[in-house]
Amino acid sequence: MHELDLLMGGFAALAANPLALLLALVGVALGILIGALPGLTATMGVAILLPFTFGMDPVSGLLMISGVFFGGIYGGSVTAILLRIPGTPAAAATAMDGFELTKKGMAGVALGTATLSSFLGGTASIIVLIFMAPLLAGFALEFSASESFALAVFGLSIIASISGRSVVKGLIAGFLGLLIATVGMDPMDGFPRFTGGYTELFNVPFIPVMIGLFAAAEAFKSLEDPKVRLGMAAALGRIIPDWPTYRRMLGTVARSTGLGVVIGIIPGAGADIAAYVAYNEAKRFSRTPENYGKGELAGVAACEAGANGCTGGALLTMLTLGIPGDAVTAVMLGALTLQGLQPGPLLFKEHADLVFTLFAGMLFCYVAMLVIGLGSLRFMGRVLQMPKSVLTPVILVLCVVGTYAINNSLFDIGIMLAAGIAGYFMQKWDFPASPVVLALIMGPMAEANFRRALSLSGGSYDFLYSRPITAILLSIAILTLLLPLVKRWRAHRLESRAGGTASPLNQA
Amino acid sequence: MSNAPARSDASRQSDAIPMTTKIANLVISVVLIAIAASAIATTADFPKSMLATDVGAARFPIIHAGALILLSLILIANTLRAPTAAAAGGPSVGVAGYAGVALGMLATAGCIAAMEYVGYGPATAVYMAVIMALMGQRSPLWNPVLAVGVTGLIYAVFHYALQVPLPVGSLFE
Repeated sequence: MHELDLLMGGFAALAANPLALLLALVGVALGILIGALPGLTATMGVAILLPFTFGMDPVSGLLMISGVFFGGIYGGSVTAILLRIPGTPAAAATAMDGFELTKKGMAGVALGTATLSSFLGGTASIIVLIFMAPLLAGFALEFSASESFALAVFGLSIIASISGRSVVKGLIAGFLGLLIATVGMDPMDGFPRFTGGYTELFNVPFIPVMIGLFAAAEAFKSLEDPKVRLGMAAALGRIIPDWPTYRRMLGTVARSTGLGVVIGIIPGAGADIAAYVAYNEAKRFSRTPENYGKGELAGVAACEAGANGCTGGALLTMLTLGIPGDAVTAVMLGALTLQGLQPGPLLFKEHADLVFTLFAGMLFCYVAMLVIGLGSLRFMGRVLQMPKSVLTPVILVLCVVGTYAINNSLFDIGIMLAAGIAGYFMQKWDFPASPVVLALIMGPMAEANFRRALSLSGGSYDFLYSRPITAILLSIAILTLLLPLVKRWRAHRLESRAGGTASPLNQA
Repeated sequence: MSNAPARSDASRQSDAIPMTTKIANLVISVVLIAIAASAIATTADFPKSMLATDVGAARFPIIHAGALILLSLILIANTLRAPTAAAAGGPSVGVAGYAGVALGMLATAGCIAAMEYVGYGPATAVYMAVIMALMGQRSPLWNPVLAVGVTGLIYAVFHYALQVPLPVGSLFE
């Protein structure tokens, strides 16, 4: 195994460079902090750190950036689970079951599961990157606009399974999100749509809406009940999940990691999409799908393994083809170029020693993430011991500051507040928030790629069925959308005949 | 000849919706239909695409808004068809509770407005003290201490550690 020899050499080179290891540790810790803070994403963390790495040697600089990348993806889950504040878009999926577990007093085990799954997903994706990079790189080239459109439609079809009690209300939330996603510049002609003349609305204000719908709405809800207002937040409980429990989730973690790697490879698709797709597939394969959304550990494991599995996939196309898989790797591409390295097939031939030292360092970053993550959970969990009368104001201030930090814009805070008010009433009347976030992620991707594919095919809709990957993804999307509806309809019919419990299909 | 079996009382009861939820569903549906209809009306002003093969800027908003109208109508039909339940399950929120939420939302709006003039520090410290008071934390000593302490800590993390600038305020620029 030529790669194994090179990797061993990489570990040896890394051991002789303690500064690089230290900077990797600093990067991971900083990444976890950035990921945990609302509004600050891994992309922003990497961009903030980029100028500091100019004077460093390539291994130290790139490992520090990788540490921020990996830590940033994982860090979002901590506040998503503890406070329902998704630090990153991918963590919005984790919040669905993670926060429900916190409400049940199982915050510790949810955090432990998220940390272990992030570590396993991320490490596996780096191993795939090391040993299968040239093999998988070709797959990325198969993806053109029509395949990306089909992937977005597949992502959108998940709305039916994350709708909660009422499919109709879930679909309403989803289509409202899709309508909001059309606000801003038209992807083909650049015409401003529904902006009302505000330049701030030229791009879909996705993160302010997400922070408002999840975090601010939850904080406003805490203000309504005097008992909740004065009470203490939930307990942390046990952190490391017991082995029999986690062993049952290993299949989910493996499947989610695989999905994460594949989605990471696809240009334009990132950890957010991977987390939702992994969650949906975990629910589909589960023997107890009805527990999802109500505090299912496997749901947390799936989202985190999927999101972190994306990291290796996104790096794969960036390193082998020079095509960044997502926004973070686009910034990392700049970092590589600044270090005098040209990503592409020649990188592995001309700088093999350096590349494999980096791979060894990435594996070290994930081990560091596991150690720092597990070591700090008790400390981070102390947030739950704060009285709600202090915790809620802190959450609201973080929402305000985190939203401002995205674009240095007070206008964005206004959008966050509007989304928070809407989210409060959505919670009150059983309209789920997750479909809105999912639609905001997938909507622009679906529209832009559909119109691009249509233009490439000369106005013909043939690409919908003539391209195999597109046809397969669209077929799976139709099945994903229709199966939960058919299942609920059948359950409703049986209950109507037997006079059983409430049917979710007709639950208005 | 046999008639279709009538739905049992238990099943009908379980599908029942409280009157407040019914009113909310209807109001929300009507609001959504109005939003979607106005979105469709607005698309009339969108220019045609310069590419002959493109569907144009209006096509997707029209599809999404059309689906939203259809789903809202389904929600209205489901709500009107469902029997009315006696009362909502779970603890009800009193007038004081809703007043607390409304004041919290107003305080957030006030904080945003104040931040533009006085900057992050004063606006956030006062905002935090107000929210703590709304949450029942009304110590004349601890409220300001906690508000200033947390505001300062967040400022240090964002401004110094993460190099993210926070608003200074037009009065101090």
